[in-house]
Amino acid sequence: MNYVPGTASLIDDIDNVASCLPQTGSIVTDYNKHLVLLRDGRTLIGYLRSIDQFANLVFHQTVERIHVGKKFGDIPRGIFIVRGENVVLLGEIDVEKPCDTVLQQVSIEEILEEQRLQQQTKQETEKVKMQVLKDRGLSIPKADNLDEY
Amino acid sequence: MFRFQSLDEDCTLEEEDEGLVEEEDEIDQFNDDTFGAGAINDDWQEEHKRLAELDERDELAAGLSLGGGGTLGGEPDLGGTQHSSSSSSSSRLPPSAGRLPLPSSLPPLGFSSSSSGLPPPDVEDRPGDGDLAESLARLILEADPAIAGVGAAERPGPPPGPGLSGLHGLDQPRVLQQTSSIPHQHPHHPQLPPGPSASGLPPGPPPSSMLSYQQQQHLMRRGTAPMGQMNSHSIWENSMGFGPVSVTPGLVTHMEDSPLMSIIKEVGLPKRPPQGRNDEGRDLSERVPPPRSSSPVIGSPPVRAVPIGTPPKQPMSHALNHQIHHPTAVHVRAPVQHRYPTPFPERLSPNTLLNIANSPLCRGPFPPRVGPVLSQIQRAQLLNSQVAGFPRGGPGPPLLPGGGGFRPFFGGPPPPHGHRMGPPPPHGPPNHTPPIRHNTTHLHPQHRRMLTQRMQSRGGDRGRTGGDRRSRDPYSNLMTQKEKEWVTKIQMMQLQSTDPYLDDYYYQNYYEKMEKRQERERDSSKKEHTTKLITPQVAKVEHTYRPVQFAGSLGKLTVSSVNNPRKMIDAVVTTRTDDEEKREKQVWNKRRQILYTVEKMYSLLLEVQDFEKRFVQTPEEDRDALVEQHKSNTEQLCSSLMEKEWEDRVSDEQCVMIMSVRKGKRLISRLLPFLPSPQATAVVMAIARNLPALAKKDKQDQVLCWLVEPVSTVIQSLSSSSLTDLLQELQGSEGQLATVLHNKFGVTLLYLILSEGERMQSSDPNCQLMDDNRWTELVFSVTRELLSVPSSALSPPLFTPPNLLSLFSRYVDRQRLELLQDKLQMSALSR
Repeated sequence: MNYVPGTASLIDDIDNVASCLPQTGSIVTDYNKHLVLLRDGRTLIGYLRSIDQFANLVFHQTVERIHVGKKFGDIPRGIFIVRGENVVLLGEIDVEKPCDTVLQQVSIEEILEEQRLQQQTKQETEKVKMQVLKDRGLSIPKADNLDEY
Repeated sequence: MFRFQSLDEDCTLEEEDEGLVEEEDEIDQFNDDTFGAGAINDDWQEEHKRLAELDERDELAAGLSLGGGGTLGGEPDLGGTQHSSSSSSSSRLPPSAGRLPLPSSLPPLGFSSSSSGLPPPDVEDRPGDGDLAESLARLILEADPAIAGVGAAERPGPPPGPGLSGLHGLDQPRVLQQTSSIPHQHPHHPQLPPGPSASGLPPGPPPSSMLSYQQQQHLMRRGTAPMGQMNSHSIWENSMGFGPVSVTPGLVTHMEDSPLMSIIKEVGLPKRPPQGRNDEGRDLSERVPPPRSSSPVIGSPPVRAVPIGTPPKQPMSHALNHQIHHPTAVHVRAPVQHRYPTPFPERLSPNTLLNIANSPLCRGPFPPRVGPVLSQIQRAQLLNSQVAGFPRGGPGPPLLPGGGGFRPFFGGPPPPHGHRMGPPPPHGPPNHTPPIRHNTTHLHPQHRRMLTQRMQSRGGDRGRTGGDRRSRDPYSNLMTQKEKEWVTKIQMMQLQSTDPYLDDYYYQNYYEKMEKRQERERDSSKKEHTTKLITPQVAKVEHTYRPVQFAGSLGKLTVSSVNNPRKMIDAVVTTRTDDEEKREKQVWNKRRQILYTVEKMYSLLLEVQDFEKRFVQTPEEDRDALVEQHKSNTEQLCSSLMEKEWEDRVSDEQCVMIMSVRKGKRLISRLLPFLPSPQATAVVMAIARNLPALAKKDKQDQVLCWLVEPVSTVIQSLSSSSLTDLLQELQGSEGQLATVLHNKFGVTLLYLILSEGERMQSSDPNCQLMDDNRWTELVFSVTRELLSVPSSALSPPLFTPPNLLSLFSRYVDRQRLELLQDKLQMSALSR
């Protein structure tokens, strides 16, 4: 199992690479999707179509998956072009693997609602924390998601 | 054009008849070929008929000219012949009108146009031989079909023959009008009625060079329907860019008469692909337009699978062909710009290079060296382009089908890739015929993508039973093989290294260690190997910089570059006379000297240390040389420590000097194992001797402790006498021992010596240690010192050898032993 360096190792992943053998007679459409986690926390799932040396990715039939607790929701997005520097990790989704997750899929509206609630509670706790610290004369600088130089 | 002009002198126009005869001979020569590119597939009988007719007309013309040749000195009256023969020509033309005469053949017919196209004064200046040249020139100009086409004007005069009605549909009606009107060509001035000439004509014909080649080609194509047959075989014979005279038989008659036509024949006309195919309602977009060079690429079949009707898509290479194959061609126009901007320039070059490589006449603008050069990359690309059209059927992942193409380029690409490439093709759908592999390197990437997609989709439709899933996805292969290779190439190029040990030392070592570890852990039965990074293996190429030189010139060029920068500042060394500064400088110089020595020794040492590794790697033949080098290195190292005068004694001074520097101490610690025993001993002695000084210098760094290990190894190999000597050295001068005890290293060293002595005594009863009293005395003094030194001053050693107590027990009484014990233990604990 030898591999090529850098983003060139993704070359094999492009298009629908199904590493399984076809079943007897039946036409098994095994399209392997890729999952990418971006720096801003989004999760995208789609067919990887093209790459370049910076690991800029072209995703086809992308779906953004939002996870809140045990629920998740898929938002279809279409074609995505991701700039390489924003990729945190990228992996192939093995269709073959038995899917025994505890996650429960819900509708888009529901998941968005859940997400909003989650954000809200988070903000509130943060606010309370800051207030408490301020009362004691301490302050923790908020580390932003994005890099600040 | 230049050729034409050169004929001015050659042509003897006074004797038309003789000229005619000559042309006939020439004609024979030119039409010598029976088969192949030179032959013309027309009916010789018809041709003969036409020739015969031509003869008749000639006589007629001759007669006419004799009759009316007043003003024109002996020149037949073209005008007269024109009019007289126009009818005959027009009557003759209908049969041949079906075969549209090429505009290019019109040149002689363009005489009327020439006359009309010329400014009036010329027409009047006809008479006289002096104008012969002029008229010839004009003739030549007009003979150019482009000019004839462009310069000609609407001429109401000569009636367009019935056969011309068909021709009107063509682009150049003007040209054709003249075609009909001038059946007979002679290099003479047309004496036209002023009427036609006065008709509003455009200004003189533009210089031929202005007309693009494409326009000319365009002209050619128009009149091609019946010529398809003739040209079909010659389209693909790219060896003759300007093919043999590919003109209609109808024109042959005209051609024969004029020396110009002979020129055209010789130079040849640009090829005209048959037009007929284009009229059929075929879907041409799917066909891969063939590259102009039909030379077979390595491993691919000749590009004949595509119907001949597809027009060439590379005017540039076409022109290139002409350039190559007829370096003396006149019709070389300014090459047309490529329609598509080529993002990857190499897309064109394999083709171009192939042209060059396979041209029968390898002369011309291209140096002969260009011939067989097909770089690895391009070869790989060519190979891959062949494969690109092939549907990647089969279960395996579509690994770089460039796996095959990669091999010539990289030494790396592993066999797994190779063997995976094997199965896919045979696993392909059984009832699916592989599509034709086209050489698509010259195409625009977009075009090629569409083609491959279409072919694949078609292949997918046919090959469903084989499980060709991949082809059913219409969005697959958005990234062409070429692009994939390009990305991979970029990544691999960054890893190219001629000396991996130099460039990436830690990586190499780390992986070696990992591998060794894993091999140890695993059984030999498990032949699993860890995932390895594929790195390209590039041969070592020595690049020596040689400054630019011209042969035969006096002196050298002063060219500054990265390797040879221009001198910006003239630095002059000035010595300062200040004494203090001198002293300071001396100190600094000395230090620099020491550092320099240390550096040199280090590089030698590193080579010595790497010797083993290198030895394993080098092939058999080079091993001896390596051994030799190794020996010399070690010798050099040794000698660097020696005294200058004595040559066999380790220089104290040198050692101390080296050891005064931090790096030097590390150097010595690494060097000791490699030194031969006596030398190592001597070094250790020197260290012991000078320990106070060294200890003083080492207060900050404590680097001396690095020496413990190698020194202990040396000590263990010492003989008893040398051990005693060492101990003595350690105690050499007064108060030395005290300082020794203050220093961690010193204490450790002392203990090492003592423990070694003890070991000797206990293990070997015949030990000579006790032979002279030195040892005992020394030990006594040590104990005395140990007891007297306050415990706080006693520096804790790095480790306390266990047998010290037994040593002391031999020499001291109980009371003192206990005291010593306390002290040592304390010092051990307080560490």
